[in-house]
Amino acid sequence: MSNTKTTSMKNLLLSQWVGVILLMTGVGLGTVNAQPIASAATYHYSQGEQWQPLQTVLQSVQDNYKVYLNYKTSLVQGKEVNVKKIKIGKNQVEDVLQKVLVQHQLSFEKLKDNYYVIYQSSQLPSLVPLDLNNETKKEEKRSSNPLSNIERRWNQQPVFNLEQTIRGTVTDLENNEPLPGVNVLAKGTTTGTVTDVDGNYRLTVGDDITTLVFSSVGYLSEEVEINGRNIVNLSLSPDIQSLEEVVVVGYGAVKKSDLTGSVSSVKAEELTAYPAIGAVQALQGRAAGVQITANNGEPGADFKVRVRGGTSINASSDPIYVVDGFVGAALPPPEDIESIEVLKDASATAIYGSRGANGVIMVTTKRGSKGQAKIDFNASYSLQNEINRLDLLNKEQFTEYIQDTNPDFTPLDGNTDWQDEIFQTGNIQNYQLGISGGADNLSYYLSGTYFDQEGIIINSGFRRYSITSNIEIQAAEKFKVGLNLFARRTQQDGARTQENSGGANNSGVVAAAFKFGPDQPIRDANGNYTLARLSDAHDNAVAVATEYIDENVTDRFQGNLFAEYQIFDDLSFRTTLGASSNNGRTGQYTPTTLQGGAGVGGDGRVNGSKNSLLLNENYLTYSKEFGVHNLTVMGGYSYQVSRNENWSGRSQSFPTDAGLYWNLGAGSVFQRPGSEFSEWELASWYGRVNYTLNDKYLLTLNARYDGSSVFSENNKWAFFPSGAFAWNMGDEGFMQNIEPVSFWKWRVSYGVTGNRAINPYQTLAALRAIDVLAIENGVPVNAITIDNVANENLSWESTAQLDIGVDIGLFNDRINVNMDYYNMVTSDLLFELPLPEYSGYPFQLTNIGKVENRGFELTLNSRNISGEFIWDMGFNVSANRNKILELPDGNDILYRSGPGHMVGLGDTQILREGEPVGVFYGWIYDGVYQEGDDFIEGGGFEQEAGGERFRDIDSRDENGELTGVPDGQLNNDDRTVIGDPQPDFIWGFNNDFRWKGFDLNVFFQASQGNEIFNYTLMELDLMAGRNNATTAALDRWTPTNTNTDIPKASGGRARRASTRWIQDGSFIRLKNLALGYNIPKVILDRLNIRKLRVYVSAQNLLTFTDYEGYDPEVNYRSSGATNSNRNLGLDYASYPNAKSYTFGINLGF
Amino acid sequence: MKYSINKSFLLGLLVTFFSCTDLAEEPVGLLAPEAFFNTASDVQTVIMGTYADIASEQFYGRKLVLSLQLRSDMCDIGDRNTPARRQQVNDFNMDSNNGMITAFWPRAYRIIGTANAAIAGADIVGTEDEAVMVLKAEATFIRAFVYYHLVRVFGDIPYIDFTIANPDDVKDIAKTPEAEVYQRIIADLEFAKANLVDAHSSGARSRATAGTAASYLASVHLTLGNDQQAYDEAKFVIDNKDRFGYGLMEDFAELYDGFNADGLAEHIFMVDFAAGLNGTSSQGTDWMGPITGIRSVFLPNTNAGWSVSVPAFTVFETWDDRDYRKEVSFIDSAFADAELTQPIGYEEFAPNHGSPRPHIGKYFRLAGNHRGDSGQSDNNYSAFRYAEILLIAAEAAINLGRNDEAAGYINQIRARARNWNGTMTDFPPDVTVAEDLTQVVREERRLELAFEYKRWYDIKRWQIGSEVFTGANSLEPHDNFDASRDYFFPLPQDELDRNANLLPQNPGY
Repeated sequence: MSNTKTTSMKNLLLSQWVGVILLMTGVGLGTVNAQPIASAATYHYSQGEQWQPLQTVLQSVQDNYKVYLNYKTSLVQGKEVNVKKIKIGKNQVEDVLQKVLVQHQLSFEKLKDNYYVIYQSSQLPSLVPLDLNNETKKEEKRSSNPLSNIERRWNQQPVFNLEQTIRGTVTDLENNEPLPGVNVLAKGTTTGTVTDVDGNYRLTVGDDITTLVFSSVGYLSEEVEINGRNIVNLSLSPDIQSLEEVVVVGYGAVKKSDLTGSVSSVKAEELTAYPAIGAVQALQGRAAGVQITANNGEPGADFKVRVRGGTSINASSDPIYVVDGFVGAALPPPEDIESIEVLKDASATAIYGSRGANGVIMVTTKRGSKGQAKIDFNASYSLQNEINRLDLLNKEQFTEYIQDTNPDFTPLDGNTDWQDEIFQTGNIQNYQLGISGGADNLSYYLSGTYFDQEGIIINSGFRRYSITSNIEIQAAEKFKVGLNLFARRTQQDGARTQENSGGANNSGVVAAAFKFGPDQPIRDANGNYTLARLSDAHDNAVAVATEYIDENVTDRFQGNLFAEYQIFDDLSFRTTLGASSNNGRTGQYTPTTLQGGAGVGGDGRVNGSKNSLLLNENYLTYSKEFGVHNLTVMGGYSYQVSRNENWSGRSQSFPTDAGLYWNLGAGSVFQRPGSEFSEWELASWYGRVNYTLNDKYLLTLNARYDGSSVFSENNKWAFFPSGAFAWNMGDEGFMQNIEPVSFWKWRVSYGVTGNRAINPYQTLAALRAIDVLAIENGVPVNAITIDNVANENLSWESTAQLDIGVDIGLFNDRINVNMDYYNMVTSDLLFELPLPEYSGYPFQLTNIGKVENRGFELTLNSRNISGEFIWDMGFNVSANRNKILELPDGNDILYRSGPGHMVGLGDTQILREGEPVGVFYGWIYDGVYQEGDDFIEGGGFEQEAGGERFRDIDSRDENGELTGVPDGQLNNDDRTVIGDPQPDFIWGFNNDFRWKGFDLNVFFQASQGNEIFNYTLMELDLMAGRNNATTAALDRWTPTNTNTDIPKASGGRARRASTRWIQDGSFIRLKNLALGYNIPKVILDRLNIRKLRVYVSAQNLLTFTDYEGYDPEVNYRSSGATNSNRNLGLDYASYPNAKSYTFGINLGF
Repeated sequence: MKYSINKSFLLGLLVTFFSCTDLAEEPVGLLAPEAFFNTASDVQTVIMGTYADIASEQFYGRKLVLSLQLRSDMCDIGDRNTPARRQQVNDFNMDSNNGMITAFWPRAYRIIGTANAAIAGADIVGTEDEAVMVLKAEATFIRAFVYYHLVRVFGDIPYIDFTIANPDDVKDIAKTPEAEVYQRIIADLEFAKANLVDAHSSGARSRATAGTAASYLASVHLTLGNDQQAYDEAKFVIDNKDRFGYGLMEDFAELYDGFNADGLAEHIFMVDFAAGLNGTSSQGTDWMGPITGIRSVFLPNTNAGWSVSVPAFTVFETWDDRDYRKEVSFIDSAFADAELTQPIGYEEFAPNHGSPRPHIGKYFRLAGNHRGDSGQSDNNYSAFRYAEILLIAAEAAINLGRNDEAAGYINQIRARARNWNGTMTDFPPDVTVAEDLTQVVREERRLELAFEYKRWYDIKRWQIGSEVFTGANSLEPHDNFDASRDYFFPLPQDELDRNANLLPQNPGY
């Protein structure tokens, strides 16, 4: 038997894949073998009849409330009930059941959501054998009503030919908890039962029965061979792609099958697959269309999130975050999150109007559920190493190289591997302790987390402490209140890596480690830290890492109160009041042991900030079913206000370094203090209509009318509408013949969303008094300069988005495919329009220009193998094409991002119509000149053998216009677009394997076709003899080594943005590899433990890339609204990402 | 039913309760221009804004003055690893994207814009108040001061003497011809001279007075070849030197002591910096100390500089060793160690940085308090000092044939130069009318005002570029000096790209 099972499994798999391929290519729809099936009849109960058969009434209850009622047919047969005062569809389901069942001394118990067991009041509801009918039609064929499969099995003739009795326990594979209400069916028959509250079942079937089928809503069905056993235990794995699953959208939730918009969901287990610094990191690679990149590998550093590309240039392209309905709230740690939904298309995001253009990330935190208190403890410990190192010259190689440009150079007597000196084995400790549960009118979830990371660079680290508390109270029959509280402290010990100017006073740790001569010791003979000798006398890496203090502490308190009142049966009102307060302090101290402190006697500064956010939402939801029509209308009003303050103090020249930044008054040279305040308000009206016809045709209309204080007098208010239509084609008659298709839905949406992410007060002309100072007789005096020129018409960026999508379920939803094509055009870009400089104003914030993002997303989830051995697979891929459609007057805008100390580098990037945002701009590097070559003239360009050769591509005519014709001269006109940092596509590939108690997770993440501007190598391998170089220098041009594209060492070489520094940044990374083992229940039961899982895992274990820097997954100067949009794919000695090895346990009582 | 209506009403009330907001912005800490000007002190605050920007990195803190310094035959590039933009200015191979001009051009116009705002503000407050009139005159002087730099560097330029409410209004304006710009500068300076005070109550030399305006008038007229007016204005300043509090410092070195440089009698106009205090757009930030200072050496008051602007060795070599001003103007020995025990000669300066020769001493040696390398210092940069007014008077007098008088002015300067730190020497000797005074005054200017951002303007004024850069006795030869191109800098390309109304570019670029 088992042999044939394996074979058939293979066949099944094969045919599934063939089917998928056929379907995806649009071929063979008609060729798939299929049999017709009669739709399940839906019984609609008519109001006129006062007495109805109980069985009929219960059926009607099932239909109306979408619940499952589980009962022995004999209990209900022949019984009638009086339904006069019972309003099915209006009263709560439990009221209806109560009123109906009490007439026959029957009771019911809720086993889980939407699942009730009915029993005789005197009996316990356990072990109720089910009687199933003889319907032999395609059991596995899905109908429009997902409940009908099970409904069909109920209320049928009993079968009493008992020949073997099998019992067992069904548990949840994720958490080892008993699963009540699982249908257990003898395969090929109609005999079955359902598990009790403890997950136990007992079933008596004919001895010809070899296989049992276990099924439960929200779980993947399993077929298990009996093999002569009396006890068959089983763990079911949750069906995360279940179409019955409820998806959180703005101001409500819908069943996945009823979605009209493009929404990606990520579940708790994916978010906690490895210890993540925060929920955003955990989201990396998990959702199609969502690109998440680390700004820096530094512990506690921010991540950049782009949903379907960057929509803006000057304004923020960050999505908004909504935590349990609180817009702008902070994300709790991953362990406290139940699910994250990413709203992508206009149908989903337009309800957030002026803030929806960049996507919405909806976070639902964990709740308690009714029952005994559950205690969960999760702990992990990780060891971390830097992901890679650069191969740098050793002392002898370095000396030889430097002597090429400076024959007088004599090395010192040190021999230091600076990378060795700054990198260490870091570690992460991550703990969470939670307790959750609930009683009849109350549910609670309490959790505390502690995350402590010691960085891989000495003296860097990050700690996070948090408390989450969610309580819900059913205060009265129709009145529910709840409170979510979240408190968090984060502490960061920074390491300086994202330095702009790495001049003498600002060297970064990593850059200094790369650049410093290996001939230098860490300290000189007098015990002082050594300084760079070949360039600016900057500090060495160890000095910066050990001596420079940069500490940040941030406390966040966040509360969200909600109350929900059922005004009428169809109408409910919900109001929320969210408030948060974020207080931060950064202290920095540069002691006299560092260059920046030596000249000024120590330099200390403290910055404080306090941000508060208040949000009130009030909305009504009306929901009603009229026969085949289903209507939900939601409308409301919200008001939000944010206040931000910050202040700073700085002082220099301290009597001692011991006080750090905690005694600014002790400094004798006070520096300019600062303080600032800003405030914004947002008032909004919003509404949505969902209309469903026959469960097949779904229509959603959204609108939001937003008023924002940050816009000009004339443009405070704007309207953001969207509409979407979806068609459950799979439910149409003609689709019933297509065997593998269990679900097929088309979606199309169009809408306009906005981006109001600019700072307050930008519409006002201003004289600037802040930060300006004039000196009179050595003393600062008040001064003001002209600063801003007003734009009385400043308004929103608006993004019009079209989305066409299809969701397909195959083979009983074992395979789910979601595909979306979208096209977004953002107009009225908030743009810093450069003004004539002779006007005295640098620029004016203006609405001008257009950016387009077009793309394709595919998500595929598949249960490749099921049964005792399980292989689940999730794959997502997205391709986004970003393009600037329109710029002010069509002019190119050049800008620079190179580190400030790379003086002379100049512009490195360009904004140009027709190109993506952030493309690199410079010369084409043609390798090295050889003796006898024709040297191309040009001021500042090398014209000698061994020098860098650039391509002459353009010239200007007498009118100053570019001609496109080379002129034998190299100059600025010969620059062109030399690289594109935007990836062609990104993908994530997740695999879960389970076998007995073991689970294995293999998760890859990848980016393809993005280019990186490698400032690190530009600095190291310029071959100008100013610092150490990588081993590429060994192949530099010399009169005897001419066959190379690495130029000779030359002291005067200018830094040029060129193709020499542009590299392919594509990579595939094994982000997580985790092996876990669930201790068997039999052992745990003896120990009174609910679950115990131990695991080992590794993060970033393997990286496949051609990139020559140490890590393709890094960014430089990419924080802040404008820079985050246009500084993409830059690498300059960032804090590297880490490779981690983790051991952890999940323990539950 | 009634119950339901009540509930709906309640609900409606709840919703509307929160809907009262007008979304108006009420900024705190930002100053709206239309409401700002109420008193004379408001006008003064805006005028101080112009000084703040003059004392910024982009203008008198480095970019403008370094350009002028390098452009001359007195300062060459030391460390050739320094950015190309500096080397281009020095080497006469600038292009229009040069990073020096693209930095000081917009800063210059911001100063002009702020000065125009102050002038308009004075009119709002009311110039019938004498104090306000004085401030208007001060703002007018600043406008002239900035245009005087711009017109000499660029030639024809856009000339704005009004406040701009809407930038669109000026996007099509044409350049104003050089000669007309000079006329407007003269008009502004005359207005300033007529209305400014003789001295500020604070005694600050960083703010313009009637004497400052007269001195600049003298300089402008001399530049234009109006010898009589130049003479008259210079003579006016000299005759009224007590009224203005002007005079030569006894010891030449006092002029370059950043620890003691406020309110010096010799300063007719100077730019005031204070250590470590810098505004966000680089106000109060000076870098001429480290830019001219020495790589990899130590001095008692400073760490190493950057060896960027370093005189050609010929400049040092040809300067008479007996001249105290040479001693002050150069640093020819320093220390190799932080403990200051190992003195080294200039031959060992800047190892690995290609400039083993004497460096400039005027900015690096005694910069006052600073951040360690003489940057962000207490130094005050002289923009116009009394010695120059004597030299202007002398030069104009020579041109007018009054050699005796001219020799007298020159000899005042030479007499001071003979004071070698308190010891009177006999060098340089007094001049006599028998000498070629034109040559004498030119040399005197070159040495007395060495490295002080004057020499390039003099070369241009005298049109001696070909001689000093390609002649046999060139101190700093640049064979590619092109007189048809190099007397003007190119207009910044980014400005031209956006504003075709400024075309054509200066010849040769």
